Amino acid sequence: METIVELKNISKIYQQGDVEVKAVNNVSLTINKGDFAVLCGPSGSGKTSVLNLIGGLDEPTMGDVWLEGRNLANQTNAQLAEIRKNRIGFVFQAYNLIPVMTAYENAAFVLDLQGVKEKIRHDRVMQTLAEVGLVGLEHRRPDEMSGGQQQRVAIARAIVTRPAIVLADEPTANVDSSTAESLLDLMQKLNQQHGITFLFSTHDQHVIDRAQRIIQVQDGKIASDEYRV
Amino acid sequence: MNLNTLAWRNLWRHKRRTLITASSIAFGVLLAVTFTGAGDYFYTRMIDAGANMGMGHMTLAAPDYNRAPSSKKYLKQATELKRKVMQLDDVKEVVARIHGQAMFASARKSVGGMFIAIDPQQENANNNLFLKALIAGGMLMDDSEKGIVLGVDLARKLKLDVGKKVVYTTTDKTGEIVSAIARVSGIFQTGAIEIDGAMAILPLKTAQQILGYQADQVSVLAVTLDDQRNSYILRDKLQKMTAFKNVEVLNWQQTQPDLAGMIAVDKSSNYISQLLIAMLVAAGILNTMLMSVLERKREFGVMMALGMSPRNLFLLVMLESFWLALLGLIIGVIVTTPWYIFMTNTGIDLSAAYGEGFSFGGVLLDPIFKIRLFKESIVAILIGLFGLALLAGAYPAWRAGRVAPVESLKAI
Repeated sequence: METIVELKNISKIYQQGDVEVKAVNNVSLTINKGDFAVLCGPSGSGKTSVLNLIGGLDEPTMGDVWLEGRNLANQTNAQLAEIRKNRIGFVFQAYNLIPVMTAYENAAFVLDLQGVKEKIRHDRVMQTLAEVGLVGLEHRRPDEMSGGQQQRVAIARAIVTRPAIVLADEPTANVDSSTAESLLDLMQKLNQQHGITFLFSTHDQHVIDRAQRIIQVQDGKIASDEYRV
Repeated sequence: MNLNTLAWRNLWRHKRRTLITASSIAFGVLLAVTFTGAGDYFYTRMIDAGANMGMGHMTLAAPDYNRAPSSKKYLKQATELKRKVMQLDDVKEVVARIHGQAMFASARKSVGGMFIAIDPQQENANNNLFLKALIAGGMLMDDSEKGIVLGVDLARKLKLDVGKKVVYTTTDKTGEIVSAIARVSGIFQTGAIEIDGAMAILPLKTAQQILGYQADQVSVLAVTLDDQRNSYILRDKLQKMTAFKNVEVLNWQQTQPDLAGMIAVDKSSNYISQLLIAMLVAAGILNTMLMSVLERKREFGVMMALGMSPRNLFLLVMLESFWLALLGLIIGVIVTTPWYIFMTNTGIDLSAAYGEGFSFGGVLLDPIFKIRLFKESIVAILIGLFGLALLAGAYPAWRAGRVAPVESLKAI
């Protein structure tokens, strides 16, 4: 199996006043192409910290993060921005759409940053919005959409560039259970049909039940890591 | 969506805040135009009035005349020099004058003073402040007449009125004491005590005869320019010309150093006032942009997570400052234009506060408060305020560009 992400003896220590908090403690992990994996565990176990380290949003105190063969520790901020733009998709708990942009513009945002030409961009955005079930809503702004619709836009924004991996931090936490199910249906479909790799951080049982691989995180360490048969 | 469009839309997230900040920039334009315009108008009027009082915007005189005036020092071939000066661009007028000191005596009293001898054919109320300020009698109608125009306080001291005789005594070009008799043809009142109490106007030919000058010999040639700001350039130009090799060419800053000094001091305080206004405007912009950046910290974190570079984030906030500044300037121009037109054409009459005439630096000024902006002042105001707005936006933009994504994503 092709490895997308490799964590080698990663630790992340935060300083809170005089106290050192080990959010991630000597974690080694690989994420393979096509994985539909969850990092699960109680609040404060270190799930989001691992996700942030993989996404190049944070730097490990020790160890290395490799993404598609590149050590993130060797990248400048600008290079990390390039990697995030071209190879990683993010889905956040609070949707985090840009409020002054329409659904279409939010979905097209990263393609804009990539400098993709208008015609190609339009086709890809419309195709992606269709995939996430938002045809007809492309001109709506975030405040004119439900939470579920906003999260679909966020998913469209994450996958429209065909990234190597989508990192989703508690993507179902702010929606009701039926919306959560439909969002998971969507992401599962994208994983199965397009081979997009998903890594979730969650403690939502709906997500855990759908995962093909479950990585238990406890006290900053990997407690278990198993593929569901 | 390009950064420009995004920046413009971001500006309208808080319409009221944006409009208040843009209004503060607009108000800055209004104040800057008023202050600078008042300065441009006031200084020009003072300089022009000073020039009309004897020495012009530029003065051509015999060497060392300005430092130590004397009837022994005079210009020769004044007509030829005048012809050469008139050939230059920006020269509006050149008049020949004789300046001197004299003792004026009436039947009752003697008073020391000064005189300026003018050619009545060339000088009138439009280009001579004293003749404009006539309050009794008339101007010197004929170059050959034995008339004299006195300052109101000088006439009062001598207890003279129009039609009465006055004897004046001065020294001629050889240093000999000479006297002449004249009849008061007019009385002027400038409002400046030092002028009204000591100055008299004589016909040029009469003065030439008394001083022993030939028709082509005068104390000074007073040059009036279309724009006094060109006095340095023209002075330097004349100084380099062979024809003026043995002539002292001075600009108004040299002949009226007191006035130049007062204007310089007044300009400095004007600049300080404007700087304070500019700082207040900048503080408003800085506050708005900083607040705007801080409340979008999480959004910036998301943008960086999605791959936006710190440089583009900096650029985004700078573009917001750009649009805000442009909006403020446009509103400012719209609001200021009618005010400027009114103040240029009509102005505000301050005579109730200052009287009909008041003087500054020994120069009589109009009590109507008007404004006038030089082209370069307009450009300086617009560029200055625009640059200031961008500068005030630079720090918030820099902060936005330095956002650590992981910290920003934690922000509420």
